[in-house]
Amino acid sequence: MSDAAFVQRVLNGDADAFTQLVDRYYERCSRFAVRMLGNRDDAEDALQATFLRAYRSLGKYQERDRFSAWLYRILVNQCRSLASRRSQRERVFVREEAALLNAADRRPGWTGEDEELVQRILAELDPLLREAFVLKYIEELSYEEMSATTGVGVSALKMRVKRACDRLRAGWEHIKND
Amino acid sequence: MTDEFESLDADLQKVIAEARRPVPVDADARTRLLRALRAEPVPSRQPTVLAWLSRPQHIELRPMVSAALAAGLVGIGILSGLAINRDGRLATEQRPAVAVGQPQLPDSLAANAVKFVIAAPQASAVSLVGDFNRWDPVATPMMSQGQGGLWTVVIPLRPGIHTYSFVVDGHFVSDPAAPIAPDDGFGHRNSVVYVRKPSL
Repeated sequence: MSDAAFVQRVLNGDADAFTQLVDRYYERCSRFAVRMLGNRDDAEDALQATFLRAYRSLGKYQERDRFSAWLYRILVNQCRSLASRRSQRERVFVREEAALLNAADRRPGWTGEDEELVQRILAELDPLLREAFVLKYIEELSYEEMSATTGVGVSALKMRVKRACDRLRAGWEHIKND
Repeated sequence: MTDEFESLDADLQKVIAEARRPVPVDADARTRLLRALRAEPVPSRQPTVLAWLSRPQHIELRPMVSAALAAGLVGIGILSGLAINRDGRLATEQRPAVAVGQPQLPDSLAANAVKFVIAAPQASAVSLVGDFNRWDPVATPMMSQGQGGLWTVVIPLRPGIHTYSFVVDGHFVSDPAAPIAPDDGFGHRNSVVYVRKPSL
């Protein structure tokens, strides 16, 4: 059954139909939120707020694009708000994690199979670069879909993704050479 | 997408491959979410601004109230027509201080062409989004005009009510000079423009 059909069922009074949409998108949204916010507690807050907001606003959905794009737009905004409200804490988090990277966790022979280290590498990116990079390469959105989701122009997004790749590459070289 | 991924160096591909793996989902968190959703009223289709405005509205005014309202409207018209600033210039000569978007109907264009203007001197990219372009931020870019940081675009719009917003460097900005529509569900209030039917 299509997303639109589930939305229609909810709007016709079948509240349980929204559970199907939660099941369909929870894992993917969870990954985006964790990659963006750097920890599971904040990601859970963002997910709760996103799905509640989507549920409350479902009556306005028909003017928007695909449900997934609409949901992503809410999620991106929630992650931005959370990151901004907790920016001080995030800076502390990044600093502490950077200190950890300088110590035992920096392994030159790392093969890439380390979720925690990937998270730390992403956390060192500027949030706007991280957002563009995650949408492009982790969530595999096209630049047009990214633009519709973020409200940022395609050329600006391409620049952000390129800068994110440059910085990740430089950070990776730094880790390997330490 | 695949070509773009393949063009990346091996180290970045490793990082991306790892980051694409699903994160473990906390079953308790999902349960809490479903519980919170069940506590919410079931949503229903909300009437649009256009639907509300196109419905006949019954307004009843007593004679004294009508007279006071009419006098007030005349007063507003006189005051806005004659408002003079401290420096002696008419208020209509004043440049917008921050950001003013104003739909106008230019004489040289068709009657349903609408000009949108916003002052955003620091912006590097501005576009117009609305129900007329499916809220697509790349569909209607605005052009920077001269030194004043004014961004404009002229687009044809069908007669009726349209909801819109500006996107200034990725941020949605409502038009302070236009009527504001209800919250769009994302914490942002859009603006509304009414396009009249062309007069014959």
